[in-house]
Amino acid sequence: MKQPAPDNAATVMAFTVNGRDVSLSVRADITLAELLRDQLALTGTKIGCGSGECGACTVIVDGAAVPACITPALLVQGADIQTVEGLAIEDALHPLQRAFIDNGAFQCGFCTAGMLMSATALLKQNPHPSEADIRMALQGNICRCTGYVQILKAVQEAAR
Amino acid sequence: MSLKAIGRSIPQLESGSKVTGQGQYTHDVSLPGMLYACVLRSPHAAARIEGIDAEAARAMPGVACVITAADFSDNRYVNFGPAYADRYPMARDVVRFHGEEVAAVAAETPQQAWAAAQAIAVRYTAMPTATSLEAALAPDAPEIHPPKPNLPRNVAQLADARFGDVDKAMQSAVLSVEGSFRHGIVWPVCMETNATVARFDAASGELEVWCGTQAPFFVRKELAQVIGLPLGKIKVRSVLIGGGFGGKSQAPEQIAIAAMLAVRCGRPVKLVLSRDEEYLAGKTDHAKVMHLKTAVDADGNIVARFLEGLVDNGAYTHMGPVYVSAMRQRLLNLYRVQSAEYKAKLVYTNKVPGGSYRGMGAPGIIWALETQIDEIADKLGLDPVEYRKRIANRPGDVTQLGWKITSCALADCIQRAADLIGWEQKRGKLPKYRGIGIASMIHPSGSVLYPEGNFSNVALTAQPDGRFLIGTQTADAGTGQNTILAQLVADKLELPVELFDVLHMDTEQNPDDLGSAASRVTFVTGNAALNAGGDLLTEFKRRLAEDWSVSPDAIAYAGGIFAHPADASQNVGIDQLAQRYGSIRVEGHYAIDQARPDANGFGNYAVSYAFAAQAVEVEVDPETGHVRVLNVASVQDVGRVLNPTALEGQTYGGIMQGIGMALSEEVLFQDGKPVNRSLINYRVPRIADTPHIAVEFIETSEELGPFGAKAAGEPTINATIAAVANAVANAVGHRFHTLPITPEAVLAVLRAREPKPALKPYKRPYNAEVAAVRAAYPAMFPAMQKLGAALGHKRPRIGSFDLRQADNLQTALDTLGETANAAKLIGGGTDLLPGIRQGVYAPALLLSCAGLPGMRDIAIDGRGTISIGAAVTLSQLQNHAGIRQWLPGLYDAIGQIATLQVRNRATVAGDLCQEKRCWFFRSATPCYRFSGPSCPCYAVLGESRHHSIIGAGRCAAPCVSDLAPILTALGACLHVVGPQGNRVVMVEDLYVWAGETVLRRGEIITRIEIPAAAGAFHYEKYARWRGDFAESAAAVSLSGDRNCLRHVRISLGGVAPKPVRAMESENLLLGAGLSQARIRAAAEAAVHGALPLKDNHYKTTLTIAVVGRAIAAALDALPVEMAAE
Repeated sequence: MKQPAPDNAATVMAFTVNGRDVSLSVRADITLAELLRDQLALTGTKIGCGSGECGACTVIVDGAAVPACITPALLVQGADIQTVEGLAIEDALHPLQRAFIDNGAFQCGFCTAGMLMSATALLKQNPHPSEADIRMALQGNICRCTGYVQILKAVQEAAR
Repeated sequence: MSLKAIGRSIPQLESGSKVTGQGQYTHDVSLPGMLYACVLRSPHAAARIEGIDAEAARAMPGVACVITAADFSDNRYVNFGPAYADRYPMARDVVRFHGEEVAAVAAETPQQAWAAAQAIAVRYTAMPTATSLEAALAPDAPEIHPPKPNLPRNVAQLADARFGDVDKAMQSAVLSVEGSFRHGIVWPVCMETNATVARFDAASGELEVWCGTQAPFFVRKELAQVIGLPLGKIKVRSVLIGGGFGGKSQAPEQIAIAAMLAVRCGRPVKLVLSRDEEYLAGKTDHAKVMHLKTAVDADGNIVARFLEGLVDNGAYTHMGPVYVSAMRQRLLNLYRVQSAEYKAKLVYTNKVPGGSYRGMGAPGIIWALETQIDEIADKLGLDPVEYRKRIANRPGDVTQLGWKITSCALADCIQRAADLIGWEQKRGKLPKYRGIGIASMIHPSGSVLYPEGNFSNVALTAQPDGRFLIGTQTADAGTGQNTILAQLVADKLELPVELFDVLHMDTEQNPDDLGSAASRVTFVTGNAALNAGGDLLTEFKRRLAEDWSVSPDAIAYAGGIFAHPADASQNVGIDQLAQRYGSIRVEGHYAIDQARPDANGFGNYAVSYAFAAQAVEVEVDPETGHVRVLNVASVQDVGRVLNPTALEGQTYGGIMQGIGMALSEEVLFQDGKPVNRSLINYRVPRIADTPHIAVEFIETSEELGPFGAKAAGEPTINATIAAVANAVANAVGHRFHTLPITPEAVLAVLRAREPKPALKPYKRPYNAEVAAVRAAYPAMFPAMQKLGAALGHKRPRIGSFDLRQADNLQTALDTLGETANAAKLIGGGTDLLPGIRQGVYAPALLLSCAGLPGMRDIAIDGRGTISIGAAVTLSQLQNHAGIRQWLPGLYDAIGQIATLQVRNRATVAGDLCQEKRCWFFRSATPCYRFSGPSCPCYAVLGESRHHSIIGAGRCAAPCVSDLAPILTALGACLHVVGPQGNRVVMVEDLYVWAGETVLRRGEIITRIEIPAAAGAFHYEKYARWRGDFAESAAAVSLSGDRNCLRHVRISLGGVAPKPVRAMESENLLLGAGLSQARIRAAAEAAVHGALPLKDNHYKTTLTIAVVGRAIAAALDALPVEMAAE
């Protein structure tokens, strides 16, 4: 049986979260999701499966939507990370957030941060996606509540 | 009174906090001084606990305490009442299912708690198990619980009753249909796993609990029972809940465990179940076997129904009795039924205990009933829609179970659903393998669930700031019920809904309520909320009357203003009054004023009943067996629609969950242990599966409902399985009697009509040996399992690792050289990190080489030779402009690998080197490849639909890397550096077995080289959902003329332990005169030499289809100038 890594296994790393420069000491064995939630108190990013299968933990790393729960924290050194907490500017909601509310695109809300981040990455790369593009971009995000109908609608509306 | 909030799509009150990530779920709760808990679970389906030694664990760093059953009182959970109370909060002396809670640890960090839990030594003596209904009811079955008086062995409940005059009714029967229907277990799969934070204050003796529960009422009741605290000292707090669907409607065990740890430690404790634990021990739906007979008279009137049902209770009773009752309720109440005979047994098995799941068993029984309605319509030559309308329930009916149907628009729902799906235009007129079907449902609205469950209380507080707070002990798990309550009270008080806040769950501040289950909140709690609104008005009138010295009756209230009877200048707004009088709180009460049904289930169970019909159109792929739902029309009689967007959302969600139940969701077991414990191979619907769904509501007015509403949450799922199954039957001409309707089940039916493909297993001589061993497996298996348990090696499990990033190749090689046994290269981590948790990998060090020169580069030379750095991500490769230009087939191929999120992380070398995905291996079953040569392969006798059909010997795990067949067909090679120098390995020669390569310790793949391709390439893949691993895949690379191919390479994925070349198929395609017949022959030749297992014969048919499609697509992609050559 191996013991948890001693604290000296921690490495100081610097990166950007939602436009803010961050530098902190990070253990080798934690994931980006744990780093965000436990060390930066950015608990908007959820952990639904811990295996990259459900998409609840999706964040944007250097422009790409990735599952934070299977991304080792140390591997995002120097990266630019965007989480759900960075979507709204002051009190002004992001158009996707607005569209999700208006279309009832969430119920329990646990998948919502991941959905929003996948959709944000999509619209950044492809401002006018087809319905097929949206389905492809969100295929990694499981929602058990909505049946996805209103999510599709919301992303389409935000892209208009 | 004009309604301003009711009937409008008011967004959820919690919207802002949910879209910004600010909302607090249990997972997010963090208290000062909080400890983290980990549960040790049983590795046996049945065993005696001989002893638990936790001394070593207690002495480990950071450990605060360890608890076992001995720490709890002698009380069992109340659950369904004393007659069914059979479970302690932790296993006591005996474990009865794999995953049962045996011990728990609280420590300073989650890693320390995990490590300590692993260090607890439990001595078990395995006992005989009964893991299926049949085994549990066999005469020699082991006794799972001590016998109950008057009940057969392993039976928790017996139901046996007749309703109406069956004998008399049967005299007019002219026709009957009969059949057995069977379905397994599904998981609710709430996106937030069960979790609890508990805090105990020793001085006051108060216990506070934050947990995602649908029923704080039950949490308190059960905690008082098993922890031994007075009810008044237990406080459940308010959190957001990440989904419920019934799965969180009882008090799950982890709440009591976290609470007891908090009591013992005197510090707050947080326990978050992993997704894997959720699968092992979370609450599931119940499996059923239903033998059903329906008899009708000459006009099709249902004269009698007969049902013998078995409900799989699992190891303990939670909601099993309700499932017994749910079957009876539909048997007698769905359509007009003159009589019925009902026999059911609730049966213990050594499996995860059933809880509740949306619909409470209704979707399964309705599937059976509606299948027979279709069969009768067929036999009577009636249109299924017309027939259903004829026998539909009507307002004023009293059923043979005593249900009094008040409002009911079922016949209209059926007609409208048929219209929406285009029944007239489509039924019997669709192309082959397309079909439509319809089904109906009935669901109680405002039911008398428990002796204490008929009431609701809602607090309403007028606050000095002019806002109003609604307090309820129900829990909004995402359904929007908090918002509905606000809408109801807002309209009652004629105020803007924006003035209302809802505090749900909190048991200290809110009055008692049974909680959120059985779609009861809108009706029961909604009525209590309306009464609270009324009470608040009365209270204000009383106070104003005193101030104004008038009679309260003289004070009028309208539009938020209390009017003075004589002096309008004294009129006052309701939002001003709390400033004048201070906060004013009232409690509204509502109780269902009717008796509970009798012991046989007879009696009016609910105040009203909701009805719905769903029509479904499907398309079946006859070559893969895949059923795709194209269209759904749902028409629901829910009384009054309170919030259209919320109700539509409920409907879409229920339908998609129903489609999952019908087509893909199923827990697979090995010796009572669930093995498909991942969201990859437990297949919940994803966004690509969402069909076009038309939703409409027929608004009847239910006199007793709040503003005329009825229940809505579960009615959305109840008819879906039945409608899908009837549509599939219409498409393929066969009625399935087992759920889910999987591709292999469909293919088995379609294949039975066609000549079987020639497998020619003798083409692989070792097949004779493999077949002989497999034939001996049933006899050998128990001994092999024992031998494996004794001699098999235990894979080490780690809770922590180091991670380093190499800055030059030599350092990387040196690091690997020094630590070769304990180090592993990491690419994207998409396989490695989950694999570490599953016990598949146990590296002390992860080494990333992604930063080394060239590792992330893609280079294409002038001839089209492609060089890909090993750490290039799949997305990077797919989107490289040169790839699209030189090898467009590769772009499409990569788009079929995993999901976009995973492709953004996963690397090409990682994809090639990923471990096998066999569910036995991944669930740490002590199999040949997991625990060593003394152990058996579980796929031979177990669930083997996923496994290899070709070349499987002692291990049947297939190669699941997509790049393996792709790069094999493309003739690619790997450039490898290592301590013994550099070498080049053809991808075709890379594999020793699935997930095992010829790479030596310390070697590093630096790049992959794809030779310039002159022709066309296509990758065809069949996976159960887009992004899943292949069940069968074929990569085809070819060049030459369309009628005369010069070069062909075909490689298969998902069907063999390695990416096998289909050489015979290749040879058949070469040379002049290529014809359709030769392509077909080549496709069939791909399975020559196959030796399928018991569940995966379908893969032979599938592979023929996949190879045929791949060849056709590659031919189509051949450049035109080639054809002109």
